[in-house]
Amino acid sequence: MARTLPILLLLAAAVIFPLSVRTIFLEVGIERQLGTVQKIFYFHVPLAWIMMLYGVVCGIAAGVQLRRQSRMAEAIAIAAGEMVIVTGIAVLVTGPIWGHASWGKAWTWDARQISTGLLWLVFVAYVLVRRYGAAGSERLAAALAIFGAVDVPIIYYAVKIWKTTHPSNEVVGTLPPEMWAALWPALGALLATATALVAVRTRQELVEMDLDDVWVEAEDVKGEAT
Amino acid sequence: MTANAMLWAPEAEAPAAPAAPAEGDEYEAVEGLDRAGIECTRAFEAVAAKKTASDYAHIVWAYGVLWSLFAIYGVMLWRRGQRLRGDVQALRARLDAKK
Amino acid sequence: MRLSRQAWLLAKNDLRQELRDLELVATAGFFTLVVLVMFGLSFASLPLRAQPLAIPGMLWLAVAFVGALTLTRIFDRERESDTLRALLTAPVDRLAIYASKAAVTLVVLLGCCMVLVPGLSFLFPVAGVFAERPGTTAALVVLGCTAYAGVGTLFAAGLATSSGKNVLLSVILYPLTSPALMWSLVATRALLDGHPDLPTYLVQLAALDVLLLVLAGWLFESVLVGPGRSGTAARRARAAHRR
Repeated sequence: MARTLPILLLLAAAVIFPLSVRTIFLEVGIERQLGTVQKIFYFHVPLAWIMMLYGVVCGIAAGVQLRRQSRMAEAIAIAAGEMVIVTGIAVLVTGPIWGHASWGKAWTWDARQISTGLLWLVFVAYVLVRRYGAAGSERLAAALAIFGAVDVPIIYYAVKIWKTTHPSNEVVGTLPPEMWAALWPALGALLATATALVAVRTRQELVEMDLDDVWVEAEDVKGEAT
Repeated sequence: MTANAMLWAPEAEAPAAPAAPAEGDEYEAVEGLDRAGIECTRAFEAVAAKKTASDYAHIVWAYGVLWSLFAIYGVMLWRRGQRLRGDVQALRARLDAKK
Repeated sequence: MRLSRQAWLLAKNDLRQELRDLELVATAGFFTLVVLVMFGLSFASLPLRAQPLAIPGMLWLAVAFVGALTLTRIFDRERESDTLRALLTAPVDRLAIYASKAAVTLVVLLGCCMVLVPGLSFLFPVAGVFAERPGTTAALVVLGCTAYAGVGTLFAAGLATSSGKNVLLSVILYPLTSPALMWSLVATRALLDGHPDLPTYLVQLAALDVLLLVLAGWLFESVLVGPGRSGTAARRARAAHRR
């Protein structure tokens, strides 16, 4: 099951992706105010959703890791954290590209841009602490991930509180149905890809943990034998 | 002589041409178009075409960045898998050597 | 012994030790003064119109820097004499340790703000609003610094048990405290501009404080002590070392 899940997901993504491209570029009309470049929106928004989703997943997994000392949870947390970084880069790059084409300004310092960048930084810190932290720092990293997950709704809320140049949250709610129809396939393709990669990474992490155990045992046995 | 006759022939025929529409209505005078209007329209179309081209460039960049990020991460995972496989081999060799 | 009494005793102990040699307070205070002077030098020529935009940033950046500086040393005494272990084995509620350390950090930060806020009013005429509305300013400063101290203490504690990789503290601290700092920034700007939404911002800041303190307090024990098993890290360290 663990082996086949990523393959199935990637196949699903490979099938959905051409459909999604067709829907986005051939079926949906050109948005009147923003023009053709608005089509970036169909990938940018699902990516932001996926980033926040995996931020929350990482936080929850970290919580389970702390509570129950679960290895599986720890592996999922690490994989989800890395996926937040990857999708974060994608969101932070495609957003300014869209902004540059639409409004001439790539980085507008508005609340949502800042908040997404900060969330990204928190999870980069998470990965750094895991990689370079001293022996006991997994728990610290887990606490960091939990704080990061708590920040996810704060980001969403920040847009509502502050006046911002970012298209408001409500944009997604008021889309005409054909735009929703284009959004779902894109979300499907991206989510399948991201989940496949997370599944692979989780399994790699579990294997690595087991390997470490076996190495240590091998050394101990060797020590006893000699 | 023939050439000269031909060179001057149009003059003899020219007056006939404008007279033809009045008789048979074969040509329609174009209305509503003036040079300024046409130039204005062309200018607008040029702006729109430039925007579309720029938009497409941005779209291509955005999608390219996006998928290359996933691809790079995928490659990183693959290499990590290779490293782990090598590790397993080494461990296996170690255990076999001890037997 | 009740939790609050334990926390109070621990905090009192820390503060008393601090007052004995004044290292933390003196260096933090002097650092604040230096930062104030640097801000004055850098931004002296700001037009009057631009000052309300820059002053909140100056205030909260200074708080962030002093906070990071303080937090790297708040557990120093415990780390040097290895008394953290003793403290943890004592029949003291872990939450009391957290509360006392956070309180000490807060006291240091507030002390620095007492230098910062008048200093900024002195250097920049627009910041005179701080003097005109001292109650609101005090509330704002306390709320902002509490959020910072609450979050920072948790992570300083987590890093105190390791062999002192303090670089990681800065990497962790700035992104994590940024929501609190941003909210404080917006509130300060509202104060300077006389914006009517200021009470709303203050209430939201208070709510954020509560959220952060509860979360950090809840996580404190897990981070500091863990549930007792040696955990995967030690084995991995051994494995990596022997490979």
